[in-house]
Amino acid sequence: MNRYQLTEEELLEELRNRMLQCKNNLRQLQELNEELKKANIKLSESEALKSHFLSNVTNEIVNPFASILGLSKAIMEIKDFNKTRSMAQLIYNEAFNLDFQLKNIFAAAKVEAGQTNVEINNVDISGVINSVIDTYKHKAEQKNLTVNFEYHVSEEVDNNFIFPTDAEMFKLIVSNILSNGIKFSNTSSNIEIKTGVIDEELFVSIRDYGEGISHESLERIFDRFEKGSDEINSVNEGYGLGLSITKSYLDILGGRIDLSSEEGKGTLIIISFPKLSCTVVEGMAFDGNEFLFDDFDNVVF
Amino acid sequence: MTNQLPSHYLYPAAMFYSVEPYLVNTILGSCVAVCFHDSTLKIGGINHYMLPFWNGEGLASPKYGNIAIEKLYEQMLKMGSRKHNIVAKVFGGGEVIDTTTNLFNIGKRNIEVAESMLQDLGVKVVAADIGGKFGRKLQFNTQTGTVLMKIIQRTVSQQ
Repeated sequence: MNRYQLTEEELLEELRNRMLQCKNNLRQLQELNEELKKANIKLSESEALKSHFLSNVTNEIVNPFASILGLSKAIMEIKDFNKTRSMAQLIYNEAFNLDFQLKNIFAAAKVEAGQTNVEINNVDISGVINSVIDTYKHKAEQKNLTVNFEYHVSEEVDNNFIFPTDAEMFKLIVSNILSNGIKFSNTSSNIEIKTGVIDEELFVSIRDYGEGISHESLERIFDRFEKGSDEINSVNEGYGLGLSITKSYLDILGGRIDLSSEEGKGTLIIISFPKLSCTVVEGMAFDGNEFLFDDFDNVVF
Repeated sequence: MTNQLPSHYLYPAAMFYSVEPYLVNTILGSCVAVCFHDSTLKIGGINHYMLPFWNGEGLASPKYGNIAIEKLYEQMLKMGSRKHNIVAKVFGGGEVIDTTTNLFNIGKRNIEVAESMLQDLGVKVVAADIGGKFGRKLQFNTQTGTVLMKIIQRTVSQQ
């Protein structure tokens, strides 16, 4: 008897296996198709949002400039100097918004071009956070918000809360999250900021007691030009770039962002990222030891 | 001596290209780096992408292979390279244990993107060290196109 001859049972078994495999392949194909469909929809949405963004830019940049120009001209011609204070306040507000939006736009452009420069230095974390809070003080006061900040430093570290990271990136991350928190807070509520280091990772959490984010919006909140739910768009300034920049920066720094929110109750955002070695001040080398190629086990290509 | 060249540390999701000679250092886990080099002009560029395709999420940055390769190729042309002078070297795409993402085969999918895109662009791959279950440390000389590589055995992902 031929030893390659299959018995009927074996043949059936083999057939069953192949059918199963076929089914599995088909299912995988369907899943991939679904993913492809989703990606396709996202891409066309993204295109639409991009053109929307371009038309928005005109309003969001031209309008503040018109106010700044008009108000400062009015100040120049003013006789009653008591009025200048409130006008200066208005100018400051408009310029502040403009400055922040431009920073975000340029940051996003740099990220998309892969040209984000990372400079790791020892950063005074509490100092940066305090200065961001200070910068946003006028915004918080407008809504009568109280911003509480506390940080926990472990015993080993001195009183200075130092963490090696990129100061500019960290500042923009905190600014965006705090700005969002203020924007979506209910008036006369609190915003709580906490920070600390656990297992060599820096954690910053920001909690607001505002309108929160709906479940559907949560999925898209990190996409560029997305601004949460549509109903709040009218009162919500900005381009929806903030969180996508935050996410991209954290990717570069090897960090994470966790966002939990309950509609009507508020939002809690926690960002965390690991320690990165310091770049030498002149920007010559990144952690020299890591890159000694003098040993024998190099492969040359 | 190459040691006197200025060096640049390439972070994930970023790119680096220069007409000036540079030593570019980077560390790869499941990420892939494509190095483009033009031996006529003696210029080069390198990217370091984390995921194969941009699916419309977040910013359209070189974190994604399809964008990183296309953008770097465009930059090579902008720096004056002729298409037929550009060659590529591909590294990375190891399957390192990665607890931050639960997607499997990222390394493999990252490699596939590089292979198919470079083929579409008509760029010849002159050297590659891809796959495996380890990370890699690279140093790319933008002037000579030489890449020094060292294997890193560890289970912690460096993306």
